[in-house]
Amino acid sequence: MTFLSEYIYYIGAFGLIFIGLYIVLVKKNLIKVIIGLSIIDTGINLFLITIGYIRDGTAPVFSKPGLKANEMVDPVPQALVLTAIVIGVAILALAISLAVKLYKHHGTLNLRKINEQKW
Amino acid sequence: MVNPVLLIVIPLGLAFVVPFFGFISKKIEKFIPFVALFFNLIVSLRLFPRVLEQPVHVSIGGFVPPFGINLVAGPIGILFTVLIALVGFLVSIYAFDYIKEKDQEKYHILYLLLLTGATGVVLTGDIFNLFVFFEILCISSYSLVAYFGDKTSIESAVKYLIQGALGSCLILMGIGLLYGQFGTLNMADLAGNIKSVHSVSIFVPLVLFITGFGVEAAIFPLNAWLPDAHSSAPSSISAVLSGIAIEVGLYAMIRVVFTLFGASSILTFLMLLGVITLLIGELCAFCQENIKRMLAYSSIGQIGLMLFALSIASSYGITGGLFQLVSHTLGKSLLFLAAGYMIYRSGSMNISSFEGMGKRMPYTALAFTIGAFSIVGLPPFIGFPGKLMIVKAALFEQEMLYTVLIFFILLATVIEGAYYFRVVQALYFKEEKNTQNQKREIAPLSILIPIFILTGFIVVIGIYPKLITDVLVSSASELLNRADYIKSVMP
Repeated sequence: MTFLSEYIYYIGAFGLIFIGLYIVLVKKNLIKVIIGLSIIDTGINLFLITIGYIRDGTAPVFSKPGLKANEMVDPVPQALVLTAIVIGVAILALAISLAVKLYKHHGTLNLRKINEQKW
Repeated sequence: MVNPVLLIVIPLGLAFVVPFFGFISKKIEKFIPFVALFFNLIVSLRLFPRVLEQPVHVSIGGFVPPFGINLVAGPIGILFTVLIALVGFLVSIYAFDYIKEKDQEKYHILYLLLLTGATGVVLTGDIFNLFVFFEILCISSYSLVAYFGDKTSIESAVKYLIQGALGSCLILMGIGLLYGQFGTLNMADLAGNIKSVHSVSIFVPLVLFITGFGVEAAIFPLNAWLPDAHSSAPSSISAVLSGIAIEVGLYAMIRVVFTLFGASSILTFLMLLGVITLLIGELCAFCQENIKRMLAYSSIGQIGLMLFALSIASSYGITGGLFQLVSHTLGKSLLFLAAGYMIYRSGSMNISSFEGMGKRMPYTALAFTIGAFSIVGLPPFIGFPGKLMIVKAALFEQEMLYTVLIFFILLATVIEGAYYFRVVQALYFKEEKNTQNQKREIAPLSILIPIFILTGFIVVIGIYPKLITDVLVSSASELLNRADYIKSVMP
């Protein structure tokens, strides 16, 4: 039980990453693939946050006297995640706008049927 | 002293100012990339002599590494910066007359962002910052591939986006794993902490990085997006994607392998991957009828050759690989620009539609021929010294494996010759089928100037390779001497 409570966030993060990877690799619909990409992104963000997380930790500001370094949450991963979220949103927005265009041209979002360009 | 930060800040700032200039006059928008990249070219050339003596370090915001983000302008960084600025500058001249339809301002914004991202990747000394610049590069190239908005370009952009996004997810995961172990993001600090790559916790991030950057560099199993994306983008963008974007991907990969991990045990694997990429690329290029697809596959092959040369990991091998990189950047940009104009005139990408172009468009056809000969590796053009150095470097090692691989590389060069000469033959020795527009057409100056300048570089450096070998040798020593890099960033 202690194992689970200690590693639950890592399990969740990698679970999300693999679920997303599965969706991207298997699903035929472009919208589902985009959702899969977004799930992978979420998993990685959760993973990054977990790296710096300390249970019952506080913000890294010396507000109380006697606060030790191991009682504070690492702020760097949170800054990274903020950037990663912004990048993820940019990719998501671009992907969805391309999906709209793709539907206009082909009349379908089934990736198996859109195969004009081949080796 | 000129600050290397300006190389990133000025194009980035000007990129977002483009729409405001659009309010004043729609005509001056296209000069903004020209101005920004001319500035970059001047600044990077002024930095050049100083960097060769000693790498220039900048700590952003005054935080010393490993706490803040730092820029490291070493010989290899500045070499790439000059290449990016030079090709970007020439292509921005080409775009004056080439980009006429659709929303021009969006093209210019994205074009500047793409080159900003590329410059940032080669100058940064912080692994997360590298990821961010890499994403700027990738996202702007996804949207530039879709610039025409027609059926094929949207389809290729979607393919490129899905694969590229997956690749960057892997990179981010690798960064997370490294940060979790060492608590730092500075490349030199990380490199100082990583002693060997044999433990699983170090090996997994290395594999994630190689896979992630391999997508952008189009290493063999990850190259499915490249022929579509490069052939359906506007020709000016194809030139930049082929000449800069994939090379930057390769740079990120070798920087990670050599400097960050010092992974000499994985080099044999990369070498085999390089030769497979080379063979696959050249064989696929051989059976293409579409000229831009052919050039795109040829880029895959060239990347494989560079990867092979860089993985030899001797000073001479890396010098040869970087020489090949320079020659590919100049040669392939020239080929795409020249082919782009011929496509623009003939209205078709089919090789058979190029028949008789040698008479109709003498200058462009001549430039295409020189570019093709250079990529194949005929003297006196720039491709020849590069390939010669690679073959010599591999034979110096005196191992059976290298000799076998060299055989395959020379075989691939023969294939390369076969398909490029087929196009040259179509240009000069075949009569045009439709005889209506036989008149000679001279291209506008904005098209001819970049083509002539690139041709000039190819011939001059080909005749006198000493011009750039000194820089390449010091770049190679920067890549090989990991300890010096760490010491120079964190004394």
